[in-house]
Amino acid sequence: MSAVLQNLIRPGLGPDTLIFGIGNCGRSDDGLGWAFLDRIQNESGFNSPVEYRYQLQVEDAAQIARMGRVVFVDSYKGELPGGFQWKPCAASENFEFTTHVLPPRGVMHYCKNLFGETPRADVLMIQGCEWGLRNGLSDDATSNLENALEFFRRNILNPDN
Amino acid sequence: MNTPNRKITIDPVTRVEGHGRVTVQLDDAGKVERARFHIVEFRGFERFIQGHPYWEAPLIVQRLCGICPVSHHLAAAKAIDQVYGVDPQDLHPTATKIRRLLHFGQVFQSHALHFFYLASPDLLFGINAPVEKRSVGAVAAEHPELAKMGIQMRQFGQEIIRALAGKRIHGITAIPGGVHRTFDPAERDYFLTDNETPSIDTMIEWSRGCVDFIKDYHDKHYAWLDSFASYPSGHLGLVADDGALELYDGRMRAIDSQGKITLNDVHADNYLKYFGEGVEKWSYMKFPYLRHLGRQNGWNRVGPLGRLNVCNSITTPLANAEFKEFKAYTNGRPNNHTMHSHWARLIEVLYCAEAMKELLDDPTILDVADRPAVNRRPEGIGIIEAPRGTLIHHYKVDEKGSITKCNLIVSTTHNNEPMNEAVRWVAQNVIDGEQEITDSMLNQVEIAIRAYDPCLSCATHSMGQMPLILEVLDAGGNVVAEHVKDAT
Repeated sequence: MSAVLQNLIRPGLGPDTLIFGIGNCGRSDDGLGWAFLDRIQNESGFNSPVEYRYQLQVEDAAQIARMGRVVFVDSYKGELPGGFQWKPCAASENFEFTTHVLPPRGVMHYCKNLFGETPRADVLMIQGCEWGLRNGLSDDATSNLENALEFFRRNILNPDN
Repeated sequence: MNTPNRKITIDPVTRVEGHGRVTVQLDDAGKVERARFHIVEFRGFERFIQGHPYWEAPLIVQRLCGICPVSHHLAAAKAIDQVYGVDPQDLHPTATKIRRLLHFGQVFQSHALHFFYLASPDLLFGINAPVEKRSVGAVAAEHPELAKMGIQMRQFGQEIIRALAGKRIHGITAIPGGVHRTFDPAERDYFLTDNETPSIDTMIEWSRGCVDFIKDYHDKHYAWLDSFASYPSGHLGLVADDGALELYDGRMRAIDSQGKITLNDVHADNYLKYFGEGVEKWSYMKFPYLRHLGRQNGWNRVGPLGRLNVCNSITTPLANAEFKEFKAYTNGRPNNHTMHSHWARLIEVLYCAEAMKELLDDPTILDVADRPAVNRRPEGIGIIEAPRGTLIHHYKVDEKGSITKCNLIVSTTHNNEPMNEAVRWVAQNVIDGEQEITDSMLNQVEIAIRAYDPCLSCATHSMGQMPLILEVLDAGGNVVAEHVKDAT
């Protein structure tokens, strides 16, 4: 792995890393974030706290401020190469607050401005296809989840294997 | 803008929970002809639940709302207790205490959310504030200590919920005839000491600070708070047997705008005898009213203002002292000032904090709560004071235990007519006769609605996205002013 890529991906998790799964498992592929958490907690060596969220809220900033690192896992409407995308998440005030939608960069903005903390933050977006009232992921979303998990295992959870 | 014959539409109304719109119809002279608050979400939850086994109701109805799921959970649980065969007084005392603690945590976090996230920009930045300042983000930027306090207060209530229900939203505490689990000592002690979450004593201290804040704000802005969207109305809420404020289980009391009792501490089981629900073709939300007073005169405000108007006292000392001061301001007469809802809400925040402390200090909250034996009945009615007001759940089940009928009268539904009255007040006192419709005028319509902390998705039992919409239409029906924003 190149130094640039390694810095971008920032491998290594631990108890001071908080992982948020965002979505709603009753809305088909909107449940990708929760499904990711369900799976990753069974992985050998995984020892990070996780949080299931329908949506992020301002008060999540207080919890994040106590952590060394945070990862947001969410479903994504749109095309992603390979069905998922991992990218760093920087605090930004360029968002509109609503009680129904608060993006990860907004939570990180509150974390930085209110609590003076800027833990490392990344976002894992997994491409979904179906959003109706249904439990369970679509076949395409399941495949994308597997790809995302494989990436996570190799590059984040067990980077030395 | 300089257009006669106008109709104003605000769509969506912002910083409320749900999707609705406001229309103000002007005549040729620019005078307000009609002003309405429309709820445009579709009602459907009462139908979805039919056919489900009765014990699923407390779980399913939580999905009505992501803000006050605990209220629906507990109202349904109280109704389902009766189907199971248990009346409130026969529930194990620890089960009742656990449910009450859960409920106080819910009201505490919901009130904190409303005041700090939704309403405080109106107070801190004023009615003429630019749009970019009307958010918790601006509060965080300019009043970071206040914002931090609000965040941590909401978080405390949510952590109480998480500890008892397993998760912050849509967890499980109540089961038919009891509770799923109680506290262990370590869980209880977590809330009594400062750690990642400030202690309950800190919550009480901060809650007192919030009440001091609103009183100080009132001292400086009383002319506005005592007049804006003020109008006479009835008030409704639950009270204990001694007339004290009661949020979990009590009797329904209503008064008119002068303080005369119009509903005299009636038992929940009799609600159908006293309440009717009117309908209007321009809104999906119904209009509850007291039958003996009729559709025009029988409507009531519910929520913090209604509750403090109908009760005689508060059982906790600090909140009761604030209650006396609140009552003294109107010489013991009903307080009909819409903006005093914020004052009342913060007194309830203090009450909830004190009540949580009492329960956390009670060693019997750690006891095992056995369930009584089942003794099935065909029907159950549960009434609770949700953060936004009186919430009624009513279920009928068949011999197999399947739900055959469900009726929900949600807090915001009671406030339907009061919110329409508030919109009419702003239309007639702020917009009427003005040739130019300013952003500040439209914002004031929202401020009036927001004081009721409406949850429109609950009120229509809908699912889906929730932006709320303001329109000024001319006499020909053309939109001449409009606010369209995402819900906040």
